[in-house]
Amino acid sequence: MAFIGIVMVGLFGALFTRLWYLQVLETEQFAVAAESNQVRIIITPPTRGRILDRHGVVLADNVRTGVVTYDHSRYSEKHTEAVLTELADLLDVPAEQLRQGFADQRTHPLAPKVVATGLDEDGLLRVAERSIAGVEARWDWVRVYPQNEVGAHIVGYVGAMSERQHRELIDDGYLPYERVGRAGIEGLFEAELHGEPGRTKLEVDRQDRVQRILADVPPEPGDDIVLSIDVELQAAAESYLRQGLIAARKTVSEDSGFFYPALTGAAVVMDVRNGDVLAMVSHPTYDPTWMVEGLSLAEYRSVFENPYAPGALNNLAVQGTYSPGSVFKPVTALAGLDAGLISPRAAFHDVGYYKIPDARGCTGRCTFFNADRAALGTLDLSGALTRSSDAYFYKVSDDLFWIDGPEQWAIQDMARSLGFGSPTGVQLPFEKSGRVPDGDVKQTLFELSPEAYNPYDEPARWFPGDNINTGIGQGFVAVTPMQLANAYATMANGGTLFSPNIVEAVVSRRAETFGEPVLTFEPRVLDVVDFPAGSAVVREGLSNVTNSRLRGTAAKAFEGYDHEGYPVSGKTGTAQAQGLNAVLRRKKEDTAVFVAWAPSHDPRYAVAVVMEEAGYGGEAAAPVARRILEAVRAYEQRWPEPQIAFSPPQPECPEVPEALRGDPAFLGYVPEGCPWGIQLPRANTPTDADGDGIPDVDQIEGAAGS
Amino acid sequence: MIARLLNRSQTRRELQSPAWFADYSLALAAVAIALLGVAMNYSSTWRSLSFEGGDPWTVARRQAIFVGVGIVVMIIAAVIDYRVLRFYATPAYLIALGALGALLFWGPEIRNARSWFVLPGVGFQVQPSEFAKLVVIVSLAAFVASHEGYLRFDTLFNAGLLLVVPMSLIYLQPDLGTMLVFVAVAMGMLLVAGAQLRHIVVISLTGILALVLVFSIDAFQGPRLLSETQRNRLTAFLDQDFEPLEASYNLRQSQIAIGAGGIWGQGWKQGTQTNLDLVPEQHNDFIFTALGEEFGLVGGTLLLALYAYMSVRIWQIARVASDPFGRLLTVGILSMLLFQVFQNIGMTIGIMPITGIPLPLMSHGGSGTVTAFAAVGIVISVGARRYTL
Repeated sequence: MAFIGIVMVGLFGALFTRLWYLQVLETEQFAVAAESNQVRIIITPPTRGRILDRHGVVLADNVRTGVVTYDHSRYSEKHTEAVLTELADLLDVPAEQLRQGFADQRTHPLAPKVVATGLDEDGLLRVAERSIAGVEARWDWVRVYPQNEVGAHIVGYVGAMSERQHRELIDDGYLPYERVGRAGIEGLFEAELHGEPGRTKLEVDRQDRVQRILADVPPEPGDDIVLSIDVELQAAAESYLRQGLIAARKTVSEDSGFFYPALTGAAVVMDVRNGDVLAMVSHPTYDPTWMVEGLSLAEYRSVFENPYAPGALNNLAVQGTYSPGSVFKPVTALAGLDAGLISPRAAFHDVGYYKIPDARGCTGRCTFFNADRAALGTLDLSGALTRSSDAYFYKVSDDLFWIDGPEQWAIQDMARSLGFGSPTGVQLPFEKSGRVPDGDVKQTLFELSPEAYNPYDEPARWFPGDNINTGIGQGFVAVTPMQLANAYATMANGGTLFSPNIVEAVVSRRAETFGEPVLTFEPRVLDVVDFPAGSAVVREGLSNVTNSRLRGTAAKAFEGYDHEGYPVSGKTGTAQAQGLNAVLRRKKEDTAVFVAWAPSHDPRYAVAVVMEEAGYGGEAAAPVARRILEAVRAYEQRWPEPQIAFSPPQPECPEVPEALRGDPAFLGYVPEGCPWGIQLPRANTPTDADGDGIPDVDQIEGAAGS
Repeated sequence: MIARLLNRSQTRRELQSPAWFADYSLALAAVAIALLGVAMNYSSTWRSLSFEGGDPWTVARRQAIFVGVGIVVMIIAAVIDYRVLRFYATPAYLIALGALGALLFWGPEIRNARSWFVLPGVGFQVQPSEFAKLVVIVSLAAFVASHEGYLRFDTLFNAGLLLVVPMSLIYLQPDLGTMLVFVAVAMGMLLVAGAQLRHIVVISLTGILALVLVFSIDAFQGPRLLSETQRNRLTAFLDQDFEPLEASYNLRQSQIAIGAGGIWGQGWKQGTQTNLDLVPEQHNDFIFTALGEEFGLVGGTLLLALYAYMSVRIWQIARVASDPFGRLLTVGILSMLLFQVFQNIGMTIGIMPITGIPLPLMSHGGSGTVTAFAAVGIVISVGARRYTL
């Protein structure tokens, strides 16, 4: 009996102890569990925002389509097999194709996979009435890109979320099967485009029967993104770049005797007045529609691992870095002017090469030749740019090197102040910053990767030769097409360095604020560059590049062009590329570059064209730029209403006595743009025919009078 | 009245009415538990009943009727001299066996088991195994009482036989829980009957051997001695994250309900787990979860105290019973009560595996409630006649 008594005490003691543990020590944890037990949150995905061009043409839209999904994670392999077979029968698709497409999809392991899309109501009903376990047939919004590959690199694409994204986004109310932005604007503005998912909070019982609706928040549609690009101009630019590349492939390289490979290229059109990007092209390209439902592995390989269309997903306009070649010369010219080394009108005799004077003591390479060793004769700064005299800029760079003081790095400083060496800040992901080389950069490169940059174990010191190479845009200089366009836009607009905008505004589509901009991107001024006196001569030199009378390097490409109606200032560049072509296994051909703005006298648009391994800038890139500029002119005629131009800050104008206004003695003292005093003409005024950079007196009076 | 009270000490106890010695507090404790049971029956079913458009009192009212019937049965059992039961033991045992046997052939299958007879017309179900528990206790007590203090091994064997037949019939229903009650009852009674240590050792070894056999045969895909559900429940108990959610679901939900109750509970009819029907079988086997969630540690402790009080009183009655039959009877009932309370509450709070045993006096069910009241009545009868020869 006593034994039973002890057992009794033990049993009740055990029960009470456990009760104490559950209800006192661990009660909070269970209270939370009880709370989450009874509440179910149903998430309704919002409709994704659209992407529009500046005039409202839709680049990315949603359409309703019937979708069949199968939740493979909850069923056995055998069931999956049976389901796919049945669906193939039902949808009249070869089972093998269905199975292959199903296997190729890379989604989160727990997310249902899409079996078929594009079903109509009939098809949906046909699948739904079978009520196959794990199969869901429903309407869904599917992303479409009505312009297909036009602007693909800007727009980007949506796709199934990766496992990492899944972890990060699921807390924000994303559903596992939702498509998220993976590149371009779609990726960068994912938060704005996606919208707020609707949340219905339900109280449920054990059988998940709804007892009560606790809260019902409807989904808020995502915001529209209005781009600054114009679709027609974009399409034209894409087509011209592609045609230019194809034409280059039919040209034989004088260096190697082979046809130019000309596989890749990029082009940028931007408004110099406010930094808007009107077109941004990268070749090779792709159609974002392919990416929405996912490609099969074979398709993916054929498109994106094609050695003859390398890196189709990369936006070369911001991700490609190139040696700029001669288009870098205006930077050197401005640097030389800034350092006081160049007299713009001083004569220079180009003998076809430049030799570092013996007095300076030369080690290593001392003589630097022009392209083709051509002797160009007597030139001033303007002519040196027009005819692209290497010797002139060899000398400027060499002279700059030997200055003992801060001016020694004048080229690098001018390049940085024009936006090279750092990302421009355009609203696109993965932008490269390029490289403006100086002693430190060279040292770093040598240390980081000696086999690539220093195969002969040279000292890492900055030599005159390095500065000379930099001065003509070779050597360690690396720039993106976007940076080129932006720098030339800065030269064209008188010194305002913008951070380019490719997005104009984010426009709300919510009911209460429909059509109102949530976010507008005003012109963003990074810096106002103070150009040295004589910069007008640089602009003059560039304005003559297309001039056949002055034997400009792009004159041939601009034959028959309407120079009077839409004059162009530009610069050709033919950059030697480092390394081997990975596919052809021979030395890379030259990169063709052409950067320009138009009209010369009233700059409005800047265009940069870069074509890899396509030959001479004047022969391959300039014709493309010409056709793009013609398209820009047509665009201006289509949309004559001027853009809301950004008015640059007025320079501080010194007081000049009335009597002395207009005196050439004040050249360089009164900044450009001042309402009195010596007015260096707004760059490249076409009527400035004598090209001395000093305007005629009657012209000033005319300007003052108007 | 006062005169009679004073008179009591002077009169010979044997000649006085047993009503003088009856333990009314035991009956009161039983009734209190039963009323608490009715309240919890209501709070755990009103929501789903009204959700389905029915009368929220349906279940609670039925339980109240059962309790009423149970009280009457308890009074009758207390008034009747328990020694009479000895003479009815054999026929009652045979009837019980017959009923259990018939169940296997003609019983309808309800919830995967043939444990109930459906009475036509009334709409009630009868669970013979509940009554069988009491009948077997009486029979075993009657059998062992004649051998008390002199349990030889062959007697023990016969006693075992007496147990094994109804146990097997119940196992075949299948109703593992009720079968285990028999084991507990037998252990308690044989222990008190003076079974020697070696007997207990032999029985324990046999039991362990049987258990191992059952499990190993299962493991080697032999004939299934444990049903799928039983195996899952045992595995779920040992591994609380065990997958077929079916099995660990009950365990988790009931612990959540009780844990969420905290010290003071969420108030009558306020428990979310209870209201939303998240704990299955809540007015039956899992009724303690409703109490734990809505009245917290305080309510749970009160119920435990009432059971403990009942157990102590029954234990005391067993000690003072006037004959071995009464003592064995009382010990059998005590073992049954203890085991059922411990097993039932233990499974809701996760210290015992899940088996379908009702909480005596609390769980919804006519057979169980009436049996429990009858058992209490018998105990009171034993206690009241402790001086009567």
